[in-house]
Formats: sequence, C-alpha cells, structure tokens
Amino acid sequence: MTTVSIWRWPTPSGLPPLSAVASLSAVLVAMWLTAPLVEVDFVRLFGSLGKMVAFAGQLFVEPEWEYLPQLLDKMLETIEMTFLATMIALAVSLPLGLLAARNATPHVLVYRLVRDLLSLMRALPDLVWALVFVSAVGLGPLPGVMALAFVTVGFMGKFFAEIIEVVDHKPVEGVAAHGAGWLQVRLFAMLPQALPDFVGTVMYILDHNLRMATILGLVGAGGIGYDLVMSMRLFQYDRLILIALAIYLVVTLLDRLSDRLRSRIIHGTRA
Amino acid sequence: MNKPIETLFPQALPPRPHNLFPVWLAAALAALWLIVRDLEISFETLAYGVADMGEYFSRYRQPDFSDLPRYLELMGITLATALWGTVFALVVAFFLSPLAARNLSPHPLVYRAAREALNFMRAMPDLLLALIFVAALGLGPLPGALALGVHTAGFLGKFFAESLERVDQGVYEGVAATGANFPQLVMYAGWPSILREALGYVLYILDRNVRMASVLGLVGAGGIGLALHDTLRMFNYGQSAALILVILSTILIIDYASAWLRQTLN
Repeated sequence: MTTVSIWRWPTPSGLPPLSAVASLSAVLVAMWLTAPLVEVDFVRLFGSLGKMVAFAGQLFVEPEWEYLPQLLDKMLETIEMTFLATMIALAVSLPLGLLAARNATPHVLVYRLVRDLLSLMRALPDLVWALVFVSAVGLGPLPGVMALAFVTVGFMGKFFAEIIEVVDHKPVEGVAAHGAGWLQVRLFAMLPQALPDFVGTVMYILDHNLRMATILGLVGAGGIGYDLVMSMRLFQYDRLILIALAIYLVVTLLDRLSDRLRSRIIHGTRA
Repeated sequence: MNKPIETLFPQALPPRPHNLFPVWLAAALAALWLIVRDLEISFETLAYGVADMGEYFSRYRQPDFSDLPRYLELMGITLATALWGTVFALVVAFFLSPLAARNLSPHPLVYRAAREALNFMRAMPDLLLALIFVAALGLGPLPGALALGVHTAGFLGKFFAESLERVDQGVYEGVAATGANFPQLVMYAGWPSILREALGYVLYILDRNVRMASVLGLVGAGGIGLALHDTLRMFNYGQSAALILVILSTILIIDYASAWLRQTLN
C-alpha cells in the first residue's frame, strides 16, 4: 500500500471536484486581496502573544466581592430586558408572521409588504438601533428593550412566516370544510401545527437577545455591558473576572436549557 | 329540553380537555408587569419619546453623502473583517467539531473537553473579546476579525458537531469497515455527508459577522461602526443617516446574495 492511495478524493479520477477547487481558490484570493485592509500582520500577532498571556495572568486576582450585589442587580436587569424584549417581539410578530406567510396572508400585496418590512427591520444590527434609540429617549434599559424588540420582530416574524408556510395542508382544508372562518382556520388548523417549531424559534431568539443584552450597555442602553466596558477601561480586573464569569454562567445555563427543551419538543415527547 | 348534553348522556362524551393557556398568559403578563416595574420604565417617558420620535427621525431626512468614498472604504474594511473572522472560525470549527461529535469523538473525555471549549467560545460576547484583543494588539480591524473568529468558531463548531451526529450511522460503519482511521472517517464519511448543511451554516455565520463587524468599531476594532458612533455623538444627523444607509444597503445586498446562493445550493 502506497501513501498516495490513502488520501484519494472519493471521485472517479481521484482528484478534487472543480467546484470545490474553484470556491476554495476564490475565498483564498479574496482573503489575499483583503489582507492589507484588515492589517493582517503575523509578526504583530505573534508579538502580542506575550501581552495576551500577561493579560490573562492579570485576570487571576482576588475578585472584588463587595461588587457582587451590584453585579447581581445588573445581571437581573439584563435578564429582565431580555425577557421583556422577547415577549413584546413575540406579541408583535405572531400577527405579522401570519400576514407574511404565503398560505395565510389575506392578499399577495400584504404578503410582499410585510415581508419587506420585516427584512428592513432586521437589516440593521441591534447596537445601531440601540445607539439611535439612546439618543432618542435617553440612557437606561428602555432604549435597549426597544432596540432588541425591534430587531427581534424582524427575525421572529420571518421565522414564524416560514414555519407557517410549511404546515400540512390537509388539516387546514378539514377545518375549513367545517365552515370555519378566516381567523378560525389560522387559529385551529395552522397555529397548532406550527407550535413546536415556534417554541424552538422563541428559545433561539431568547438566546440571541440575552447575548445581545449583555453588550447593549456599551452604548448606554442598560444591562451589564456598561460595567463590563468600564471595568475593562479602568483596568479593574477584580471586577472584570466576576462580570465575565457571570455572563458565562447565565449564557451557558440558557443554552443548556434551550437545547434540552428543543430536543424534547422535536423528538416528540412533549410535556 | 335545554339541559346540557353531558347531563343527559354522562358517558357519551370524553371529559373536557384542560386548557392551561389562560393560566400561562396570566403568569406571563404578571411577570411582564413585575419586570416593567423593576426596570423603572415609565410610560410617560415612552409616550413623550414616541411623540418626539417623529421630530427626532426627521433630523435624519437629509443624508449627507459628501464623504461617501471614505464610507465605502470603511464598509470595505468591515466586510474584509467579517470574511477573515468567518474563515478563522471555519478553520477552528473544522478541526474541533469532529472531536465534539459524540459518535465520532475518539474518547468521551475528548468529547467533553471539545464541547466545553466550544461552549466557552460561544459564551464570551464578541464585543468583550474585541475589547481584550484591542488591548493586546492595538487598534485596528485585526483584533475585530480575531474576536469574531473566536466567538463564531463556537457556533460553527456546535452546528457542525450536531450535523455530524445526525449522519446515518450506516455511513460511518461502511467507511470504518474498509479500515479507515479517525481522520479518514471524518474526511470520507463525515464531511461529504454534511457538506450542504455546513455551507448553509457558514453563510449564516458570514451574514451574522457582517452585521457584527459593522458595530465592532465601537470598541476601536476598525470598520464603519466607529464612524457611526462619532457622528451620532456629535449630533451630525446628516452623516449618520448616510452611514446607516450604507450599512443598510450592504447588509440587504448580502442578504439577497446569500439567499440566492442557498437556493442554488439546494
């Protein structure tokens, strides 16, 4: 057995397919062209490794325990912002999702209009909206909740519409054959079928919003983010380590929870 | 005879199903009320703000495109940052995800370690990573690309690992029966089976990274975000509007391009 024969491509010729070579080289050329823009400098990169290690070393200090109550307060605020924004977005995007689903919309024109509205809403990142809303209504959690809810409606409405579009048509016809009205068909035939996927989507959005809410404070929109940036800027590593740990803990917990819930719902053992 | 049917034929109908929806709705509303109280969101401010919102947004009415070449260059840097971050994430996820797939991982301990590493990368917000890398590397887009790469490597690795776990066990057994070792199993059974799915995930991450890269400038990691932040701080609404329009149109173009690419892939 020669070494050549071990690494053959699983194609008749034993050579990589043209499409793979073409797309790989396109990406490589794009990276080579943009390297100066990103200021890629491997000398600098490896030169900074020492600094990174030194920074990591500084993180291992005695945490500032007196900061703990304030941290818990800010963390609670972050979680509350997440839930509030997700709930508002859920309430708004349920009807919008119905209007934006091809099989549930009252008119094609409405469908197109709502679809475009949703894609406009989710186009700009949450932080840009947070910046805009902070300068509109002032500092605090309110602009953060507004920004999160606004962008999330764009995503959730689109996901809901796509879920509703793939529901089975037979139950819909069955319910309609009983003389159900427009709203009744949507409520009793489409939504029950879409519900498991809806729950998965909401969990995903909740996850996304929690991650976002931890950094919205950067622009003064409430939550733990402000303390995070400040402790970083002021070299208060004894606080920074506590904040980073708290974020890690909360995000991981929600991640596990949503994983468990989603697999339970998808695999049919619904509670 | 107006008696309800249940009393006439007690055995004829199954019991009325419990509908817990009102309970859940009431609980959710109560929780929302508590949250609103705790966050001290005053509806006066909100109403005041909404009334003012029309006036406020009218300030953005005249976009000032006089500096357009610079904006386009900044957007180019942003796109390049997103590309480099995504490729970095792809490379890391490519090597980590087979170790984090339960059915492929050479040892349960390796599986746990790889999973935890991916979790950790995912849990650190990219803006925090960007702050750290800016402190170590200095200002510029490179720390931004690194931060995006580390954070999204966690996502990509998890997605890839879950796809690898969903592949039919027979495919792995077939290749393993020919005497393939771990890397060969991954390269000949794993990746070819999930290629389409994986490309979809990479496109999604690229999309996400473009959005994120356009705000990383806030912490000094290059790109268009810093310019937007500065113009908003200086109440220069004309230039802010122009910057927002540049970001918006770029993201919409990428959105349509990736939707088109996804359709051609399927």
